[in-house]
This record gives sequence, structure tokens and C-alpha cells, in this order.
Amino acid sequence: MIDVTFLLLIYFMVTTVLARQEDRLSPTIQTEKENASGESSDFQPQVVQVLLMDGKPAYQLGPSTFRQKAELRRALESLPRTAGVFIRVHNQVPVGFAVAAIQAARDAGFDQVTYVPAK
Amino acid sequence: MKFGRSRQASRTMEVEITPMIDVVFLLIIFFMVAAQFARISRAELDLPQEKGEQEQAAEEAGLVINLLADGSIVVAQRTVGIEELLQIVQAEIDRLPSGDPRNVKLLIRADRNNDTAILNDLFNRLQSLGVGAARLATEVPR
Repeated sequence: MIDVTFLLLIYFMVTTVLARQEDRLSPTIQTEKENASGESSDFQPQVVQVLLMDGKPAYQLGPSTFRQKAELRRALESLPRTAGVFIRVHNQVPVGFAVAAIQAARDAGFDQVTYVPAK
Repeated sequence: MKFGRSRQASRTMEVEITPMIDVVFLLIIFFMVAAQFARISRAELDLPQEKGEQEQAAEEAGLVINLLADGSIVVAQRTVGIEELLQIVQAEIDRLPSGDPRNVKLLIRADRNNDTAILNDLFNRLQSLGVGAARLATEVPR
């Protein structure tokens, strides 16, 4: 009985360790109506557009367009972090790319990341 | 002679295994219950492969909303419509001592292949309830 008990214990411990490890990203949410309310601020936040270009997901930051998360992160690293960053996500983009943009902003050192669902 | 024998008997040690078996059983029960709880709140889906915020502090999961690849919404192993989900979120807000929707804890587990239209719609509706933030689950790449 003790052997079986130990085997059960080892089984449950191993399955717990092998279970997929999850983490989370915590963006604030803001709708476009609220965003366009005309509230003036000394700091203008950067806006990253996550959209489909030629049928493929892309990240747009100002005039620059990136296909890779690493490129977006490098571009964001050179920007001031005070005003935060808005991730404006268009429909039809896979969720993975929207989350990748949030991750890139976090990796670039932005504490204030806001998810804006595009209309 | 008698005295000598009793001294020898006191030197032999018996290993008491009953407490060890108790502990092992408790550990098994713990792992079984933990595995069961994880299965109840988390549906099987392909989460975005990102490392996340990597915060060490354990945080309460709160209400777990699963957005499956086929577009359906699953909460606590039950498929719900968007209106019913909003009622559940509202009930969660009402349960808060402060009643402040900004303090409600939501964990959104969205399939990475899902269209963001569903997520965007959900965020717009959550915003209308006064929810100002939500956590997006990621799967840490190995």
C-alpha cells in the first residue's frame, strides 16, 4: 500500500510540474469614445496600431511598420515612457498578435499600457 | 541478568511510519484537489506564447473568462452568451465590499488564434460596466 501511495504522490507531483505554466499581462482598457474626449495633456501617449496589412498582422508605430515583435520592442525602447503607450487593436487580428504588442511594450519598460479596441 | 536484558531492549529503535503515511496521504489529496480546481476554471485552449509580467507575488485569479477558438465564452465549465457574462461580471462587482467596478479581478484566457473582434467587443462592454482593467493570460514558453 505504501508503494502505491508513493507512486500516486510522484504521479501527481510530476503532472503538476509538467502542467503548462501560465502568466498574465495587465493592460488597462480604454474605449475610443473616451479616448477622443479631448482631455488635454502635456504628454501625448504613443499609439501602436495592431492591424492587418496585405492580409498579414503588422504593428504600426507612427510612420513605421513592423512585422516582428522584437522590432516593435526596439522601436518602443527609444521612446519616452512617461505618457505610456496605447495598443489600438483592430478587429480580425489574431489575439496572439495583440498580446505580443502588449508584451513588447512591457519589455520596452512601459508601466502604463492601455488596450484600445478599434471601432 | 534481568537488568542487562532490559537495557539491550531499550536500545532497539522502531521506525514509526504512521505519521509519514498521514503526511503522504495529505499531499496526495492536496495535489488531486489542486489539479481538479485547475481543470474547473481553465478550459483547454492555445494561449498566446508570451512570458507575461513575471511577477513573483501570487495574485488572486478572480473571475476566469475563457474565449475559445470557436468564439464561444466559457465560465466555470459553462458556455455562456455575452449578455449572461456581463450579468456574471456585474454580480462579481456587486459582491465587492467597495462595489467599485475598477477593483473587480478578471482573468481573460483567450485562444491566440481567436479573432480580436470578440475580445474587442468584450472589452467595450466591460468598459461600459466601469471595468478599467483586465488581465490577459499567457502561456510561458518552455
